[in-house]
Amino acid sequence: MILYEIRKIFARTGGRIALGLLLCTLAVSCFLAAHVYYVNGDGVKEYGYFAVQKLRAAQKEWAGILDQERLQAALRENLRIRHSPEAQSENPKDLEISFSRIQSIYEIRNLINLSCAEGFRSYDYYLADRLTSVNAADFYQNRIRLLRDWLETDARDQFTEAEKAWLIRQYEELDTPFYYDYVKGWRRAMEYFPTLVMLTAIILGYLAAGIFSSEFQWKADAVFFTSVYGRNRAVSAKVTAGFLTVTGIYWILAGFYTAFVLTFFGADGASCPVQADMSGWKCFYHLTMGQAYLLVLTGGYVGCLFLSGLTMLVSAKTRSAVVAVMIPFGAVFLPSFLSAIEHPLMNHILALLPDRLLDVGATLGYFYLYPIGGRMYGAVPLLLILYTALSILLFPMQYREYRNLLKK
Amino acid sequence: MQLEITDLTRTFKDAAAVDHISCTLGNGVYGLLGVNGAGKTTFMRMLCTLLLPTSGSICLEGTNIFSMDGAYRRLLGYLPQDFGFYPDFTIQDYLLYIASIKGLRPAYARKRAELLLHQMGLWDVRKKKMKKLSGGMKRRAGIAQAMLNDPQILILDEPTAGLDPGERIRFRNLISEIADRRLVLLSTHIVSDIEYIAGEILLMKNGKLMLTGTAQELTASVPEQVWRCTVPRDRLAHYLQYYQVSNIRNTPDGAELRILSPSCPAEGAVPEQASLEDVFLYHFGEKEGADHDSV
Repeated sequence: MILYEIRKIFARTGGRIALGLLLCTLAVSCFLAAHVYYVNGDGVKEYGYFAVQKLRAAQKEWAGILDQERLQAALRENLRIRHSPEAQSENPKDLEISFSRIQSIYEIRNLINLSCAEGFRSYDYYLADRLTSVNAADFYQNRIRLLRDWLETDARDQFTEAEKAWLIRQYEELDTPFYYDYVKGWRRAMEYFPTLVMLTAIILGYLAAGIFSSEFQWKADAVFFTSVYGRNRAVSAKVTAGFLTVTGIYWILAGFYTAFVLTFFGADGASCPVQADMSGWKCFYHLTMGQAYLLVLTGGYVGCLFLSGLTMLVSAKTRSAVVAVMIPFGAVFLPSFLSAIEHPLMNHILALLPDRLLDVGATLGYFYLYPIGGRMYGAVPLLLILYTALSILLFPMQYREYRNLLKK
Repeated sequence: MQLEITDLTRTFKDAAAVDHISCTLGNGVYGLLGVNGAGKTTFMRMLCTLLLPTSGSICLEGTNIFSMDGAYRRLLGYLPQDFGFYPDFTIQDYLLYIASIKGLRPAYARKRAELLLHQMGLWDVRKKKMKKLSGGMKRRAGIAQAMLNDPQILILDEPTAGLDPGERIRFRNLISEIADRRLVLLSTHIVSDIEYIAGEILLMKNGKLMLTGTAQELTASVPEQVWRCTVPRDRLAHYLQYYQVSNIRNTPDGAELRILSPSCPAEGAVPEQASLEDVFLYHFGEKEGADHDSV
């Protein structure tokens, strides 16, 4: 029964087109994620797998505990490169040669720029060029200091005292000095995954929208509901087919994408804290790159499951795929319009909408706190718990709604 | 196997589609006759538990069918008037899918599907997608799915619509063959189909069962005489206006009419034996220009 239900989904021309679109989306996401260059010693940009391997080798030279000594060495190296004739030159070719030398310390340099910035929200790419090895001493302390300053000035009205104290404690509890490594594979995977997963959620919603409503669209409902299992097992088979389709397609796409990106870039740095990369420097969660990516994958799955489940419920209730298919569209695009409303409460609500699950990487950087039962939670754990529970609840609701649809 | 229908009513908003119907249906073939909108489909949908009655009950051997749930549906085969299917499934896959939701074991389902594909003359096209079938083939596939579980109660809403004469004969023979062991209720506009195979005929009008009985009983119930006469063509309009005319045939001498009338309608008119079509016309027909709702 379940196999026939799955066949119904993909037997439709629309279903096959949707599957084709998913494959195209996967191909484009992989292509975009892999589009990285390495500048060689002659100042020439190289692309592709071998270029990535050169970049990896260069950055791996700096892997290790990011202590004062390593930071000082990085700053010295930065100054040496900046004072070289190529860096001083105005010739673009020479500047590219200079950049080729800086690639190995590029990521550490970025972290130093963030640590020594003027403010919590500031970033100056050239700041490291004005620093000396002395500035390495307060590398980790600066992170806490900048947060504290920000909480006392610009963000003083955005948080309660308890929240401020909790955030500072989270920053202080980061295990330092942390291990630094080349983490480009994880970062690229996280950067392009949201695009893939958002389109996947929409397409899965489209596929799920027809599972219940197609019986009415094809006028096959009368035969379906008069069969022995038409109001129990056959309805369960539809619910299961929806779950298996979403689960199967999501994990095949996510698995292929992850395998491709991590094979292409390497999976080095899985145990580095997210703070070891520029994108996670301000993050208050204590996670490794590997754990963060696992959360991104899990969030994407829960998001797709919830949106498809909701689509199926609406489809079962309204008997219309057209109405139902608007659910994933609305869920993905509506919050972007609502985000124009600048209000702390609205921001807290928006951070808990299901579209955030499709971009957990970005949500990890949100400073929205939710005090529950005397404990403080960030948006990510709440999103995962809330929507997992709702997704599980949606299955019996779909079943109940569909089996009771007739006889009224 | 006995279905007892008591005071069955179904209203939609204020209109009663089925209006206090009571009857008992046992094994055999029942033909349901009535004009469009008479309430036949609503009645059949309630018998299939697709619609809840507003009042009244349908009991199978004393148990309300709506409380029997799957146990009742296990006995049921239904071909809806507006039969839908999965356009991208082949006929064989379609039948096997329906067999699975009818609770048939896979090996038995394959055997039943094969048998019915042969009986319905669909074996050669079993691998064809449903959307590529002709109207008649689709209808035959619909009949096959209704019979997959060898149902004790077979409800067929317009089963012969779209079938050619050969297919209709084959269908009628098949129903006659299986009817002694089960209850078959079929509705059709093709009166001759019912006349041939139905043991009992139920005449429905405005949601009510207005007449039931065998074909002979029904024809005997018409108080008017059936006449055959030939009239000049220029007088045709006059006859259509003042008489119920069940048939017109052009002949070299004029128009040969079959007329229902208590008295002789024209000079030379010959009395004829009434048929079920005449009964249908008597109860549902109208004279041209008369102010009736029914056609």
